[in-house]
Amino acid sequence: MMTIAVPNTATRPKLWQRLSFANKTDLVTRILIIAITVALLFYILLPVYWMLKSSFQPNQEIRVLPPIWFPSEATAQPYTNANRLIPMWRYVLNSLFVSVTAAAISTVIACSASYVLARFRFPGATIILGLILLTNLIPAITRVFPIYFFIQDLGLLNSYAGLILAYVGFSLPFAVLMLRGYFISAAPPELEEAALIDGCSHFEAFWRVILPVCLPGIAAVAIFTFLNAWNDFLWASLLLNQGEMKTIQVGIGDFAQEGGGVQYVNAFMAACVVATIPALVVFVFVQRWLVGGLTAGSVKT
Amino acid sequence: MTRQKYLFCYLMVAPAMLITAALGIYPMLFSLWMSFVEYDLLRINEFGTPFVGLDNYVAVFSDPRFVQTLVNTIIFTVLAVAATLGFGLLLSQILNANYRGRTAMRMLVCVPWFVPPAVASAIWMWLLNTDRSPINFLLQDLGLISSNVRWLTDSATWGPFSIPMMSIVAVRVWNGLPFAVIFLLAALQSIPRSLYEAAEVDGASLIQKFWYVTLPMLRPVLAILITLLVIGGLGSFEINYIMTGGGPQNLTNIMAVYSYQQAFSFYRFDLASAASGVIFIMTGFVSIFYLRSQLKGVA
Repeated sequence: MMTIAVPNTATRPKLWQRLSFANKTDLVTRILIIAITVALLFYILLPVYWMLKSSFQPNQEIRVLPPIWFPSEATAQPYTNANRLIPMWRYVLNSLFVSVTAAAISTVIACSASYVLARFRFPGATIILGLILLTNLIPAITRVFPIYFFIQDLGLLNSYAGLILAYVGFSLPFAVLMLRGYFISAAPPELEEAALIDGCSHFEAFWRVILPVCLPGIAAVAIFTFLNAWNDFLWASLLLNQGEMKTIQVGIGDFAQEGGGVQYVNAFMAACVVATIPALVVFVFVQRWLVGGLTAGSVKT
Repeated sequence: MTRQKYLFCYLMVAPAMLITAALGIYPMLFSLWMSFVEYDLLRINEFGTPFVGLDNYVAVFSDPRFVQTLVNTIIFTVLAVAATLGFGLLLSQILNANYRGRTAMRMLVCVPWFVPPAVASAIWMWLLNTDRSPINFLLQDLGLISSNVRWLTDSATWGPFSIPMMSIVAVRVWNGLPFAVIFLLAALQSIPRSLYEAAEVDGASLIQKFWYVTLPMLRPVLAILITLLVIGGLGSFEINYIMTGGGPQNLTNIMAVYSYQQAFSFYRFDLASAASGVIFIMTGFVSIFYLRSQLKGVA
């Protein structure tokens, strides 16, 4: 409809300007809300600022008491130090390799399964969906031990393959549910009906018509499965905890527990920054889908 | 035609089903089985895995450390869920309001989401270091405390509550808050504006609008969010394991960490499985309601 006014960014009031429109009780409420919000923002941002700040401080300055809030000089020294203490860049490459591979495999498998679960009713579909939901919900700790023995029996302990296998198992239910939501909301059945009438098989319709249309959603799911694997500590600490093959999260966990944290804290924080950056870069790509995409899989519309 | 369609469906779903069965369902059942037999790695070669009924559950429940851990887990979950919901409801409204700088605000609030739990633990360990915590210095400057708070090591308790437990909850909430905020924001955006306009015509205040319009409209979404947060809290592992390892004096131990330690420090996979069996029962119970609501209309 033409008559609906589109909110114009330039005419949006500032947060404080809205105060003047309010009646008296609302004014108190609003001031209270703003005060709490400011406190929450401090709580949300302080740790990130403190990590960044500490990671660029020279050794002597980081030990100064009281702690310096706004350092006058920055140095990249902690980053080279961190790499001397733990093979940081190697760990990052390990993490990247394992997470990308696991995300690729689970996305491909999830695509085909979530498509038929979204589109067709066939005997057993509800049970399959229920089992996938259940696996996604129940915490990983309830299946860690058998999987550990399973990977051990396969001879894959302390190998990339073993960890990738575990990540596929761990990420797949999540990917299926999220993609199923996306297929339901973004791909109308008319799409492949036309293809079927043209003589395509079901698989051709899926491959040539649905997949290309749904590529953005599939990319978002791939990125979320990548993040799942990248963020993981539990599986990696069990299945791949020796030598240079560790993931960066396990490297950081070990660093923290060995007490190296306090002595080389700027190097420690540098390693933390490095372990966060890939996730943040990826965040820039997915933020468009954050609101709609994430909830599509878990909330029914 | 139908048979061909079914064949297509089963072929498409087979790989995912195979993996879910092999790495999801089967290990869960195997883990439950382990909790009913003796599975002590130090004795397994000699004695095998004899069936012992509920002995493992009796054993963990007669361990005062486990009972304390169970209480800790419940307190940890309740506090974390309550704080996440409270802060989440407030922040999602702030992010939904219309003002300049809203996009920047959304980005800032989302930042902790993309900090991996291991890194979150590491940052907060440094931030809460007793002697060097900037928070301690800030509180001292404000005159609120006279000596440094030992955030992660103080073993004084008030019933089941302790400072380290509060610190851990704060880290958990910090890491999990953006998810809740975005989840609620999506729901807020689907509430028709006309409802608020009607309330305004009736002269409703801000709080009344929240109480009588927003909250009732959010109810179904809140139920889902609470379910997800409770399940996540009961199975939570990384933050406690890395930051305190359950200490001091077991005050921050939660069930997943207890289970992990029984298995990989003491090789008692049977007791570990009994502990994770308790997690399974608790989360399974909560899941049933969720599953029923999600599967309605599919069959």
